[in-house]
Amino acid sequence: MSSKQEIFNALKSVAIEPQPMPCFDIAPRIDDLVGQFEANLTTVAGTLHRDGGLANLQATIDKHIAQGMQVISMVDGIKGNREVTATAHELRDIDYAVIPGDVGVAENGAIWVNNKNLGHRVTPFICENLLLVIEAKSIVANMHQAANLITLAPGEFGTYIAGPSKTADIEQALVVGAHGACSLNVYLT
Amino acid sequence: MSTSTSNVHAHKAEIFCRDESRVDWHSKALWALREKRDRAAGSIPEWEQLRQIGSEMKLHTLSHLADYLEKFEQNCIKNNISVHWAKDGAEHNRIVHEILAKHQVKKIVKSKSMLTEECHMNPYLEERGIEVIDTDLGERIIQLAKMPPSHIVVPAIHMKKEEVGDLFHEKLGTDAGASDPLYLTRAARRHLREQFLSADAAMTGVNMAIADKGAVVVCTNEGNADMGANLPKLQLHSMGIDKVVPDLDSAAVLLRTLARNATGQPITTYSSFYRGPQDGGEMHVIIVDNGRTDMLKDKILAESLKCIRCGGCLNTCPVYRRSGGYSYNYTIPGPIGIAVGAQHDDTNSIAWACTLCGSCSYVCPTKVPLDKIIHHHRRLKAEAGKLPYGKSNYMPLVGKFMASETALNCSMAIARTALRMLPGSLLKPFSGAWGKYRELPVAPNSSFEAWFKKNRG
Ligand code: SF4
Repeated sequence: MSSKQEIFNALKSVAIEPQPMPCFDIAPRIDDLVGQFEANLTTVAGTLHRDGGLANLQATIDKHIAQGMQVISMVDGIKGNREVTATAHELRDIDYAVIPGDVGVAENGAIWVNNKNLGHRVTPFICENLLLVIEAKSIVANMHQAANLITLAPGEFGTYIAGPSKTADIEQALVVGAHGACSLNVYLT
Repeated sequence: MSTSTSNVHAHKAEIFCRDESRVDWHSKALWALREKRDRAAGSIPEWEQLRQIGSEMKLHTLSHLADYLEKFEQNCIKNNISVHWAKDGAEHNRIVHEILAKHQVKKIVKSKSMLTEECHMNPYLEERGIEVIDTDLGERIIQLAKMPPSHIVVPAIHMKKEEVGDLFHEKLGTDAGASDPLYLTRAARRHLREQFLSADAAMTGVNMAIADKGAVVVCTNEGNADMGANLPKLQLHSMGIDKVVPDLDSAAVLLRTLARNATGQPITTYSSFYRGPQDGGEMHVIIVDNGRTDMLKDKILAESLKCIRCGGCLNTCPVYRRSGGYSYNYTIPGPIGIAVGAQHDDTNSIAWACTLCGSCSYVCPTKVPLDKIIHHHRRLKAEAGKLPYGKSNYMPLVGKFMASETALNCSMAIARTALRMLPGSLLKPFSGAWGKYRELPVAPNSSFEAWFKKNRG
């Protein structure tokens, strides 16, 4: 008998009474979604740029490039100085990655990104600094609403990103910048 | 017999308790997490509703587990994900090794997975010439120190920064005497970047497996799971059969409570959904039983499989905070460690490393009735005639309580009342070594269950 079969046979004697699926009727908090989003993004050590939109972002990037930084942009209309590399490993020297976010979540400051907009899947993790772009109208109240809006087609990868990478594994002292990006700036359009 | 005094909870706890300042420090660090958790939970008006829904959703899934596992596997296959089934840890390790050997993997980077700890996978692979690099900072620290994790979320919580500094000086060449967490974390970042970039394969644990999508969800703050899984072309994910949830909506419920209850964050930095391998890559999911179907056969023990491994019950537990993670004689310490580990505990002592104060059940985001499960374990041990060392003198009395089904809630209430009313000196001899040097915990005025009964209508 295969192990799967053995496990399934054992599952015939589960002692928990069959239970219905509960309904998830949780009222969303819909007041000032951008304000909620910004407050929570700050909590998770990210920064929101409400004004100036893409022009502001391009100006910032131009400054980085002038300083010799390596910038890759996956956002239409934003120009970096690096193209998508042949292998994921070649992204190791990227200083700034600019990536479009699909959905923002007000209750926790998270932004959903889908691999169609990443080039290589590792882009938002391997870059030193991450810049996400999100439309104000794509910010929803909570994770329940986000679950209905995110795209995750068969074979795809997607991730909610809430702030820069961080750790508190040494004596519970918060250190921003663990293995993923060391900073997160979010530009609202 | 392997029951040596040295593995008994009280004895191990006593070793930990000898350094009272360290015990205080450990306890405070954990209590700080508990306080952050309380603030995060309090900021969500629907918190209690989320716990209730989380619990019911998990019970629903567990009571239809075969259906959901089947659905999950079918959908994974459609997404080009290979699914493997393992009855126990040994089979899990064998499967992992076969996959790695086929690809001639020399080095694998691994993010946190309590399951691979449970299966003792690292030594198995190392004996076969594969280098396993734990990439979560806390896990890397204890791996370099050759220690097991002492907590399921913050595995190096028992170590002081000076100790980490000395360890990194020796292993990673950081400056002698340097102990600044920022400096040490940056050094680990550089060291582990090289490991990510040179690994042949990556492995992660699984926080949730989504049946109707055929996708696994992996949550980290550090980004180590995603740095690993998205560089080499081979990715493996190990999960217990209990990790499956029906759909994205169900995952959303747990994602709302997991990090809030673990560290007080609104969500982990990365909650990543893998619904297939990267271009030209290979993705494997190994689904493991290892005793879980046995637990599902017992109505009370079964509820421990609702656990989402947030660590909240450890942080709040007065015994864990004062006895440390190494005193439990099991990979997973604290209340949930007793719940899922007591049946393997040959010292028959860890079921008693608990005051039945109920604080754990009160904080649990999926309402695992931990105190009830622990109490049930005591009864199972008593029925099997396996009473722990040093407890047999008063066990006959306690045993009477435990023999009767109806006395269950009653006797837990008595434990709480006793904590409040009896003088400490009377109770301390019964509280094990963790209470020896300390005042006993303040008992909550009512358990959540009692509160719920009182307040629901
Ligand atoms: S039993 Fe509950 S509180 Fe404890 S780790 Fe599991 S989910 Fe968290």
